[in-house]
Amino acid sequence: MSQSTSGVPAPGSLIIARERFVLPGGGILLVSRRPKAPVTAIRIHMRGGISLDPPGREGMAEWVGGLLDQGTTDRDEAGIADFIEPFGGSVSGDASGLRGSMAGDHWQRLLQIMMEMAARPTFPDAAVAVQFERLATHLRVQEEDPRVQGGRVFRRLVYGQHRLALPSGGTLASLEQVTAADLRAHHAAHWGSSRAILAVCGDVDPGEVHAQVLEHLKDWNVGSPLPKQEHRFPVSETRAEAFQKGREQVHVYFGHLGVRRSVADYPSLVVMDHVLGSGPGFVNRLSKKLRDEQGLAYSVYGDIHSSAGLLPGTFTAYIGTAPDKVEQAVRGIREEVRAICQDQVEPEELAMAKDYVTGSMVLGYERASRRAASLVAQEVHGFPEDHLETLRSAYAKVELDDVLASAQRHLFPEDSCLAASGSVTTEQLKSLLE
Amino acid sequence: MSQWKRTPVESAGAVVHDTRLDNGLRVLVVERHTDPVVASMCWYRVGSKSEHPDEAGMSHFLEHMMFKGTPTFGKGSVDREITRLGGSNNAFTSYDYTAYWFELASDRWETALDLEADRMQGLLLDPEEFESEKAVVLEELSMGLDDPWRRLSQDMSPLLWGRHPYSRPIIGYRDVLARMTPESMRAFYQRFYHPGNATVVVSGDVEPEAAFDAIAKRYGSIPAGPRWEDHDPWRPALEPPPGAQRLELTWDDPGRRILMAWPTGPVGEQADLACDLSTTVLATGRLSRMYRKLVLEKKLASFVAAHNDARQEGGSLLLYAEANQGVEMQALEAALQAEIADFAKAPPSAVEFERAQSILAAGERSETETVTDLAEHVGEYAIDRDWPMAFELTAMRRKLTPEDLQAFAQTYLTPERCVTGTSMPTTQS
Repeated sequence: MSQSTSGVPAPGSLIIARERFVLPGGGILLVSRRPKAPVTAIRIHMRGGISLDPPGREGMAEWVGGLLDQGTTDRDEAGIADFIEPFGGSVSGDASGLRGSMAGDHWQRLLQIMMEMAARPTFPDAAVAVQFERLATHLRVQEEDPRVQGGRVFRRLVYGQHRLALPSGGTLASLEQVTAADLRAHHAAHWGSSRAILAVCGDVDPGEVHAQVLEHLKDWNVGSPLPKQEHRFPVSETRAEAFQKGREQVHVYFGHLGVRRSVADYPSLVVMDHVLGSGPGFVNRLSKKLRDEQGLAYSVYGDIHSSAGLLPGTFTAYIGTAPDKVEQAVRGIREEVRAICQDQVEPEELAMAKDYVTGSMVLGYERASRRAASLVAQEVHGFPEDHLETLRSAYAKVELDDVLASAQRHLFPEDSCLAASGSVTTEQLKSLLE
Repeated sequence: MSQWKRTPVESAGAVVHDTRLDNGLRVLVVERHTDPVVASMCWYRVGSKSEHPDEAGMSHFLEHMMFKGTPTFGKGSVDREITRLGGSNNAFTSYDYTAYWFELASDRWETALDLEADRMQGLLLDPEEFESEKAVVLEELSMGLDDPWRRLSQDMSPLLWGRHPYSRPIIGYRDVLARMTPESMRAFYQRFYHPGNATVVVSGDVEPEAAFDAIAKRYGSIPAGPRWEDHDPWRPALEPPPGAQRLELTWDDPGRRILMAWPTGPVGEQADLACDLSTTVLATGRLSRMYRKLVLEKKLASFVAAHNDARQEGGSLLLYAEANQGVEMQALEAALQAEIADFAKAPPSAVEFERAQSILAAGERSETETVTDLAEHVGEYAIDRDWPMAFELTAMRRKLTPEDLQAFAQTYLTPERCVTGTSMPTTQS
């Protein structure tokens, strides 16, 4: 049991017991048994994701994952639905793979249909055309929605020409470049079983799951190894842009390129985030100052750790505020980011943040889907089975100097991007960064 | 320890212990030991329907102020204490109730009781904090006004609910909120926040006797307070809409949205159960009627959704759809009306009916996956009807027949009872 600075002991074991199987071809199966669990969750994670999108056809990986349910060699969309819906099952897909859940004792059905969808989808021309039409309607609306566009402008400013600058679900322009045949080709190239990580969590027998997966695997091509890719990101510098549209609120995003999950400072950054702008309640600095004391917003946060992945995420500070409060809000956010880079946080702030991050880790794993997601993340990042315990110990060891040093290494308040959407102009934003 | 009723609930893997303190506080301890986690909730029988017109938004604003301190636990203490213990907490307000929740590891959950019992009485309502939090609430209101669906739904409410307070938004109105004072809020707080008007639900890894003692220790000495019946304001009974009604809005994006609404019956009654099944037959999943006909076959809509908005005094069936680009809104509206008319003409097939029953039954199992889900499910029904109903819904729906759904449609989903709202692009209008 780890101990945090104020003496509140961290509760409970954090090891999600699981069995790990290496499948023929190299895919991985993780099974976590939980007796009497009311729901079984299954994930089929495919390595690669949106980084495999061809230039100009951004959204391809997302649409392939999302449209696996349009038909397989054995059944059409209605047949897939008929196989699981009446049993309380559901499946959805995106660029990272498939996720499904099933109540009760019908997990075999869920596993069967998900394996079938992953291995043998057909992307029928007519069905894909209908879905693309729906998607186009959705994307057209999104293109005029400041609640969506603020975040998109911010990512463009931060990621420049990199794939991550564009939405994972593509754009109207990229959608027009893609056909059902392209989806089939992308699937054939990138959905081999060797790149798959399967996680099954529920009241299941690991040996039985393994046996059934092996049986279903016979119909799934092994595929090719994940190609090596080089990633280039723009340097951090001041950039500002607005998406202008008359609305009650302005959505403001301030920040820059973030860190990879593998960064050595990760535990310190998690603690720093909880002092600066994330976590529950309103005890962090951004919430306390901008929401509680100044009444500028209902929603305000700041965070660098939650987007850290195999590729760098972002440091993002967000506030939704009134048009006449934008200047005050931006200055307030920047002041807080500067402050956490300049001075040690207060010992009480550090203790509270550590108590929270160590104490809260036991919560949240009741849900089968959360356990499955955690198992997949462990495998993707190459973490050992006890990594949550190790992480909790690392959080408990974070000191005042670590937080300051991490902030100074990873936060750049003078070289940040500023994006906003609503009743606001680019010139206005640029003036705020001068 | 008081006498209490012990009821095993096999479907949730839990045992519910039910009692009431002498001061009227309802206590429900839902024992389940699957994880070392405890959810603690306090439900008050007050929501926006309990407000006079000049109090519109008070329940929700008060929910915010409940985090602003008492003489014992000062401003921000609730968040600080719970953060320190690695827990989560928040609150929500509906038309019919206000609820506060905590989730903590089971070795420290009783702190939630310390905080919750303390703020049942003696809230500070400091004037400076009041004004600062009012600005936060006004920003929350602005956020809602930027959502075209929420705007449409809000503007349709007076047509749907007439003079009943269900017609007002839970968050209230800017001008009414602006006029509120700490004094008016204190009066409201004293009317509704007392043991006789509250239900405490503790769910998860607890020993029931110890949990009861812990609750009694914190809440037992709080005076019962006034009878709720004497203070819940008079409100007119719900009346059927005066014929078909329409509302047309514009929004400056290309979205062409339609929302159709029909008032139904109170939560837990046959009309509510039939509404659950009907919305599932009509628009839940890839095999639902409207998805297959309007989205796939006729290609009229980019999406269709149906929702049973269940409330204590009367709910509604809501039908949402967005027209595909190039499709005339009139064509989509006519198709939606035709589907509803068909639903009233003949009962759903046995296959459709069984599919809807199965989906809803499975959904109920998922609704009790975590101890917080469980506490919310039990608490909501304890306030709306009574908690056992939370676990009887599947059996109650199983007593209905396809013909009952047809009868529901014939009674409630008629053109004369329908309120239709559309939101069209500003430029087109």
